Amino acid sequence: MSFYECDKCKRTWQHPIQICPYCLSSLNKVKSNKVKVFAVSKINIPTLKHPNVPYYALILEDENGHKWAQKSFKEYNVNDEIEFEKDENAVAIVKTKYDLLDATSTVIEHLGGLKASNVLIIPDLSSPDHAYLKENTSSQFLGAIIDYLLKNNIKDIKVACQSFNEIPVEFSAQKSGLLDVCTKRGIIPFDLAKTNFVQKGNLEISEEVLNADLVLNLAMCKIGKAEASLNLFKILKKENYSSLKYLSSEKEIISELVTALPNIISIGEAETVQRSDRVSTYLGIILASKNAQKIDRVFNEIVEASKLPELTEDVDLNDIKTIGRDIKEVKYKAELY
Amino acid sequence: MYIKGVGMTKFDYSEKAWWQFAYEAAIDALQDAKMNISQIDAIIFTGMSSASGGEHQTHKVSFLSELFKTNVPIIETPSVCGGGGVALYTALHLSGFNNVLVLSGEKIVDNKSEVVTDYILSAAERAIEQEEGMLFPAQNALVWQNYSRKYGATLDDLSLIAYKNHEFAALNPKAYFYNKFFDLEKIKNSPEVASPFRLMDCSLSVNGGAAVIVSKEKTDVEVIGSGFATDHILTFEREDLTHFKATKLAAEKAFTEAKITPKDIDVAEIHDAFTSVELFSYEDLGFAEEGKGAELIRSGKISKGGEMPINPSGGLKAKGHPISVTGLAQVYEIVNQLRGKCEERQVKDASTGLTHNIGGAGGSVTVHIFKKVNN
Repeated sequence: MSFYECDKCKRTWQHPIQICPYCLSSLNKVKSNKVKVFAVSKINIPTLKHPNVPYYALILEDENGHKWAQKSFKEYNVNDEIEFEKDENAVAIVKTKYDLLDATSTVIEHLGGLKASNVLIIPDLSSPDHAYLKENTSSQFLGAIIDYLLKNNIKDIKVACQSFNEIPVEFSAQKSGLLDVCTKRGIIPFDLAKTNFVQKGNLEISEEVLNADLVLNLAMCKIGKAEASLNLFKILKKENYSSLKYLSSEKEIISELVTALPNIISIGEAETVQRSDRVSTYLGIILASKNAQKIDRVFNEIVEASKLPELTEDVDLNDIKTIGRDIKEVKYKAELY
Repeated sequence: MYIKGVGMTKFDYSEKAWWQFAYEAAIDALQDAKMNISQIDAIIFTGMSSASGGEHQTHKVSFLSELFKTNVPIIETPSVCGGGGVALYTALHLSGFNNVLVLSGEKIVDNKSEVVTDYILSAAERAIEQEEGMLFPAQNALVWQNYSRKYGATLDDLSLIAYKNHEFAALNPKAYFYNKFFDLEKIKNSPEVASPFRLMDCSLSVNGGAAVIVSKEKTDVEVIGSGFATDHILTFEREDLTHFKATKLAAEKAFTEAKITPKDIDVAEIHDAFTSVELFSYEDLGFAEEGKGAELIRSGKISKGGEMPINPSGGLKAKGHPISVTGLAQVYEIVNQLRGKCEERQVKDASTGLTHNIGGAGGSVTVHIFKKVNN
């Protein structure tokens, strides 16, 4: 958990504001290290947003005396300590709480952090739409990812994507605001279609992808879709993907793709998500995993999608370890609202 | 400033729109004041609108202009459960108007409880509280846990508060629980809602309307003190997790302005959204020393026939709690107590009364003090 503190006034905020309104100084971000349970109430009454009862409303407290609320289905006692979990094979779930940079940092820390000197970011660019329609990776999220990398002294950052339809990717990048985010940070995004592709088994993969220490696959999560997996296909040559799809299932393609590329982290943006009728609804989380299909499976479980996307049908939820927040804690039947 | 008229509907689940509750209360207040709408030169409205499935009207000031066929300034001051008190405070601090109608109408209960509770939860912080399931019963139960750990009060003390308020409501024809009696054992054994709170520790969401006409013209009831304070929406970020600081601040202002002390109060309407809130508010308002609220309820001094009855209307607990309407319904009760019109629940010789209205879990609090004017 992060708090924003004024060194001069000694006031603290949970909301991510930058300037103290009393002395107008810049605030410092203070992270909680040791977390314990301060108080617990068992809730027996369901609401629309929290239909499954009983659950526990916890007040947590850190070593600085900062307190915050957290829902849990696990029963805790006062003074129980809560450890920060790390597991590179898990799916990490984090609440965004208005601060995408902090949420990004936390979700990656859950996976053990980043070890790379050059990173290729593949944002999700599906159509030339404004960010609020939740078709594409949001500019705030891409900005947070780049800022996180810069903060961690990763200077060699590339942003690239590819259009698999007739709309040039530049149009989508401009309308969604992603182009602006990149140029403001001195990054010129490029079209993966214009790069060299290297044959790896049946796959033709962009050379830029193979040259990167790490690929960050940014997915704009959509209910009933496997957006993290689908976005990963964008590193393939368009014609290669089309012919592979003709010969094999998407499940087979993703399986081969994952084997060919070990250094991928997929991050699912799900602060506000698109329903099947394209209305967007608040969910307030991001997810990260080294396995895109696991993210897609967990996300669709969280939103209680009426039908699982085909790409996740064989992914057994019992084989997935989630860390950060539990699926039950963040479950929300988003199609209802 | 003076109170020229008060009006109120029955609190219930009748199938009326928010504006019908408001209109009915306004007419009741106008009749009480022996006035008509042309003599009103401003209106302050407060409301939360309806839960899902009902009418969510976001231009109520124009709606009210239509209803009353008036073009006077109409100002909306939403502050959820504390809306009534905030609207009154606004009216008292507006200058340039002779007669101000302060009004509220709510049809909050129009769906199953999961929907209504979820809608009321919109008064909590979204990403940090609502998303974490921090319902208002949970927030208040957690504050109570801290209070009881520090001061040793018990759930039995809270049961006495519920019992007292139901005893009063049974005598109030406008209360939801009019003519309904609950024994102490039934209160103690009600099901747990948010540990350790039981159902009977929680107020009852209902629909209703209330209105107050504030005037510069001298009447039989004067507002002698008015205090308003706010506090952080994140309940557990506050310095004190056992009391509501905003109540203390609002009470200090109101008593200073009135130039009286809590000992001078004869009757009070306290915001008992939860029985625990009534208990520690005894202390925040100065009716009991810190940590001694339980002694006050045990003493019987604030019960029916006691020295200073609290919540003779039945309170939010048993009269019912139509969100923004509550603060004005409290004024309705106190004004009628000072006028000696409360029949079976009348507090003998009441000449000074207090209302205490809270929005959220102590996030916005008003305290008003009223005095009977002897002509």
